[in-house]
Amino acid sequence: MKNQRKIFAIVAIIFLVILAIAPFKGFFPEWKKYQNSYNDLIATLPQKVRPTEIGIKQIWVQSLNRVDRCTTCHLGIKEPALKNAPQPFRTHPLMHHDIEDMGCTSCHDGQGAATEFKEAHGQSEFWDQPVLPAKFMEASCGKCHKDQEVREAPLLSLGRKLIAEYNCAGCHKIEGYSKRWVPPLDGVGSKVNGGWLINWLKNPTAYWPHARMPNFNMPDEDANNIADFLKTFTTLSDGSSLPAIPASVLNPADAQKAKMLELGATRFGEARCISCHSVNGKGGYVATDLGKVSSKVSIEWLYNYIKSPKHVMSNVEMPRFRFSDEDLAAVVLYMKNEFVDYDMVQPPDHTPDPEAYQKGLTAFKKYNCSGCHELGTMNRAEEMAPDLSFVGSKRMYEIDFGQSKIDRSLPEYIQTKLMTPHAFSATAKMPKFGFTEQEAQAITVALLANRNESIPNKYVRRALPRGVFSPQGEFGKLVDDLACLACHKMQGSGRLVATDLSLEASQAQPDWIMNYFKVPYSLRPILTERMPNLSLSESDRKILVDYMQVNFIADSLNRTVPINDTLALHGRSLYFDRYGCQSCHQIEGKGGYVGPPLDKLSSRLKAGWVYYWLKNPQVFKPGTIEPNNNLSDADAEAITAFLLKQKKE
Amino acid sequence: MEKNKTLGRLFTSRVWRSVFRHGLPISNRARAESVFYNFFLHVHPVKVRKRSLKITYTWALGGLTAGLFIILTLTGALLMLYYRPSVSEAYADMKDLQFVVSSGLFLRNMHRWSAHAMVAVAFLHMLRVFYTGSYKPPKEFNWVVGVILLVLTILLSYTGYLLPWDQLAFWGISVGTNMARAVPFGIGDKMSYLLLGGNIVGENALVRFYVLHCFILPIATMVLMGVHFWRVRKDGGV
Repeated sequence: MKNQRKIFAIVAIIFLVILAIAPFKGFFPEWKKYQNSYNDLIATLPQKVRPTEIGIKQIWVQSLNRVDRCTTCHLGIKEPALKNAPQPFRTHPLMHHDIEDMGCTSCHDGQGAATEFKEAHGQSEFWDQPVLPAKFMEASCGKCHKDQEVREAPLLSLGRKLIAEYNCAGCHKIEGYSKRWVPPLDGVGSKVNGGWLINWLKNPTAYWPHARMPNFNMPDEDANNIADFLKTFTTLSDGSSLPAIPASVLNPADAQKAKMLELGATRFGEARCISCHSVNGKGGYVATDLGKVSSKVSIEWLYNYIKSPKHVMSNVEMPRFRFSDEDLAAVVLYMKNEFVDYDMVQPPDHTPDPEAYQKGLTAFKKYNCSGCHELGTMNRAEEMAPDLSFVGSKRMYEIDFGQSKIDRSLPEYIQTKLMTPHAFSATAKMPKFGFTEQEAQAITVALLANRNESIPNKYVRRALPRGVFSPQGEFGKLVDDLACLACHKMQGSGRLVATDLSLEASQAQPDWIMNYFKVPYSLRPILTERMPNLSLSESDRKILVDYMQVNFIADSLNRTVPINDTLALHGRSLYFDRYGCQSCHQIEGKGGYVGPPLDKLSSRLKAGWVYYWLKNPQVFKPGTIEPNNNLSDADAEAITAFLLKQKKE
Repeated sequence: MEKNKTLGRLFTSRVWRSVFRHGLPISNRARAESVFYNFFLHVHPVKVRKRSLKITYTWALGGLTAGLFIILTLTGALLMLYYRPSVSEAYADMKDLQFVVSSGLFLRNMHRWSAHAMVAVAFLHMLRVFYTGSYKPPKEFNWVVGVILLVLTILLSYTGYLLPWDQLAFWGISVGTNMARAVPFGIGDKMSYLLLGGNIVGENALVRFYVLHCFILPIATMVLMGVHFWRVRKDGGV
């Protein structure tokens, strides 16, 4: 009995102690230590910084449904004096948003409600989104900034560009992306040479380092079967065969050949092919490399393609040059002769499998070739790859890391998958794109932005939905035929390699445009000439210019400037003395080479354009280096008068 | 002497007399009355066998179950101050309990572990009753009450499972109510619908489980516990 009482007493005391631990722990939380050491730290600073009151601090953002207590320990976020303080007290670097408006975890992730280090940073079993590592930080920008290009987030913008460029949408579903144009395969059997095709299938970058087609790590058997299968598609998409080509191209007489080659070289240069195409790596980036093209395509195909690109390959962005038969034959012969791949290794001969067609078709489907390439009626991936619309919200338990040794985190998983698609499973279907580490990081950032989070509309920024500009009528036909939109922008559509033509008629005089089509030249002396001579007929040129005069014009830029000697003289002194325009521009035979020369400006530009351009150049060409000098109306008029007073050509 | 006088004044005061209507149990009548009018003495058995007082006979399992129920009621009441049964708030409230409410984590853990322990201890109690043959007549009714109490304990545990509104809760209740759906003749579907207030585990289910967990089931348990204890004591148990 006595013993029992003793045991009871001891047990009671133990219980009491255990019960006391709970309030004790509550009284000495982890964050209090940080707040105390913060107060100690600021006492040592030369600047006067307000000490913090001891207590939990939080930011409540109702519209984003977030309660973030990060500022309980991160006390110096807005305090510039703590720029070099140790964490968690350091000042936040450049902040793009008001912290009271956005909270912390809306960008950084992590567990906002938590008040302990490990829990808050999300290194806990019960939190799916740990704090984003700095190198993937821009992913959070993309949650709200849905435009293609986000100026403050270069990595995100690069990632979005790469996703479009490498046609991820061919196999994956990704919000905001649709499939891009990839050469269709109809007629490929009469286009490429069989040996080249096998080499290409096995390793596209061996032929061209910038090839966008990925490496499928194809076994020889599959490559041979797909090649044999594709070689059976000899007719074009409209069912016709390639027309025969003149004998002068196929077998030119020796005497003629040298002359033709010389003419071909001249025409090849005049057509400015390398504005879009590269030759062994040098030249434009819009189209494919031509350096080894004669070892790739048949001469019949090349001849017909240059003659009428869109007939041979539907929707291709290549202008139809108006070559005469003689010039065309010369250009084709020149290319045939010049662009040979002397290092090409012929794949070993193989006897076609009797069932090559069937086996090739199976392999064609297995590798999802139709995800990107169109062939007949096949134009979508046989079996879609995982939907990436919400890939940034993938939970840890949904990811199979296989045997790999990488950190168990979503960003690392995506980046590794992009660089080595087979890292997690030897049988993974994704091909290897050969991304560099930076590219893979950028794409990872862009993908991580695809979250399954509901964000109120007031936070979301997306590019205004713009209709696609597709001009109709005669002008439309010419724009399509000449592939103007491959390099120029018009009303928001097209690629910006050259200039935006949306306000062309407000800018340039019709006569000048007419002449420019005839003899294109570069306006700036230090730039390479890029506009090809399209050899347009007088009537075609007139159609283009007339359309521009009606459509590519803004009434607000129409302004008459009095052009008289007094004003021009005043303008001259402003030009040379006040604003120092001559440091970049040439006029009267002297001046810099950065900007275009201005002495012939009067025959090119309209007065209104010059006036408004001088007032604010960036409005018309964002990013132009011409400074905005904040000219007064009178100064702008005077300089305009001076420039337009220059003698005409 | 002084002391007796003070006590005497207390015992004759009006307040004391309103609670204990009879005088001190100095006569047989007063003794009988004090047992008769006092709830706690009234539930006391007329006689208790010495061997039933030995701890190795009952292992105090019934008493432990009742004790755990009291802990659960107290901690549960305190948790109710912070917890809101709504889809958007429930999980955030758990997090607040964990991180900012004073001793919140302690409260939650007490509630959780006591709940687990209560199921286990009630079950062991049933085993003990079974092996000592205590379910035999004339105590068979109390055995039935005990079985119902075990079911209520498990239901309390199950309804509490949904309240944190995390993945475990959601899928636990989804699986559980889908099992209920397997009852034939259309009864299962009706039952599951009644329990969830719909066809899926959502806001309605959360509120229903909350009301069951905090009101209906505890009341039912308390009433049956009263009956159970009354019977135990009348049959000579502790």
